[in-house]
Amino acid sequence: MAYLGRGIHVKDNPIQPMASGRWPAVKWVLLEAALVVVIGALFAFVANRVSPRGLALTRDYFPAGTGRLMSATPLANPPRNATGTNFVALTPAQLLAAELKEKGLQLIDGRQAAQLFHDPRFRQDIIVFVDARDEQRYREGHIPGAYEFDPYRPEKYFAAVLPVCQAAEQIVVYCNGGDCDDSETAAILLRDVGIANQKLMVYVGGITEWATNGLPVEMDGRNSGNLRNSGK
Amino acid sequence: MKTDRTNRKRIALNLSAVLGRWVLGAVFLYTGLSKALHPVDFLKLVRQYDIVHSFWLLNSIAAALPWFETFCGLLLLAGIAVRGAALTLMLMLVPFTVLVFHRALAVQSALAIPFCMVKFDCGCGTGVVFICRKLLENLLLILLSGWLLAGHGRQFCLRFSPLKPRS
Repeated sequence: MAYLGRGIHVKDNPIQPMASGRWPAVKWVLLEAALVVVIGALFAFVANRVSPRGLALTRDYFPAGTGRLMSATPLANPPRNATGTNFVALTPAQLLAAELKEKGLQLIDGRQAAQLFHDPRFRQDIIVFVDARDEQRYREGHIPGAYEFDPYRPEKYFAAVLPVCQAAEQIVVYCNGGDCDDSETAAILLRDVGIANQKLMVYVGGITEWATNGLPVEMDGRNSGNLRNSGK
Repeated sequence: MKTDRTNRKRIALNLSAVLGRWVLGAVFLYTGLSKALHPVDFLKLVRQYDIVHSFWLLNSIAAALPWFETFCGLLLLAGIAVRGAALTLMLMLVPFTVLVFHRALAVQSALAIPFCMVKFDCGCGTGVVFICRKLLENLLLILLSGWLLAGHGRQFCLRFSPLKPRS
């Protein structure tokens, strides 16, 4: 006699024991999965809370207009050719530059960044470089004298960076370069807290282009004196 | 003689299943931790999919998912609630693989390149990868989860089914 559940009994059918055994097994697996989800979610949120690198759940890390989606995202005003009839095909770098321009940010290239770096006003903090990467990447190598400003943990850096930016006449913000958008996020964040837009410039090539151009890179903290010349 | 061969086959199958469980656990432990250590990077990658528009929900996904994967990886390595963990991973892997596929199609059409030349950081914890390879890897992980879900890999488990009363 095999039990099929809900009071149904079938007499000695060889298939029945198998069928009667499956459903309870599925039930246990579903219950087990539910338990894994509940305990796993609790574990995950507690771990995020305890971790020094954990995210703040209530903070908007991408305030209006910052960050960009994948490079396939269309521009509001895509550039056209000379006759204005067809859209121009852009390289990813050109696309990023066009997106930044659309957001009202001034862009500079490697040559302009190097000129500002060698300008005597840089030594007087009239021209300021701001590194918009996280602490680990900053310590691995940044433009000498650049201020550290991770836009995803701004509260940690505002006290040091804001007075300098307010006093400066030109501020160059950079990150890794390539498709990195942290410089843009940092520039918009600085603009939102009152730094004049005309002071802010985004160096799109970032530290990667800087190092490739053989310009000096400083490791560890700001003004540590621990320089390495990337040398072309 | 025949029984010996059957026994050897069964032992080999059991050991393969245990190895599969450890591999699946190790993969999720590694990818989970690599994302949990750089949560802001992962947050930006999740945002790239453009499926969540509430920042609170976006933050919650980016904050919890890496640790949740780590948790499931640990369960599989230790052999606790194996089928529950395998089912959970499968339910995460299937929709995620579909998302990656859709995004790869969008990138392919934007850049006009062959599908298997498409590469990006899909937020899988392994950096920039060729998408064909990633899809294949995910398919293998789904199959492995399915195998464990079917009840294999019971050896060297602390508690294969913690809810089921011991018989």
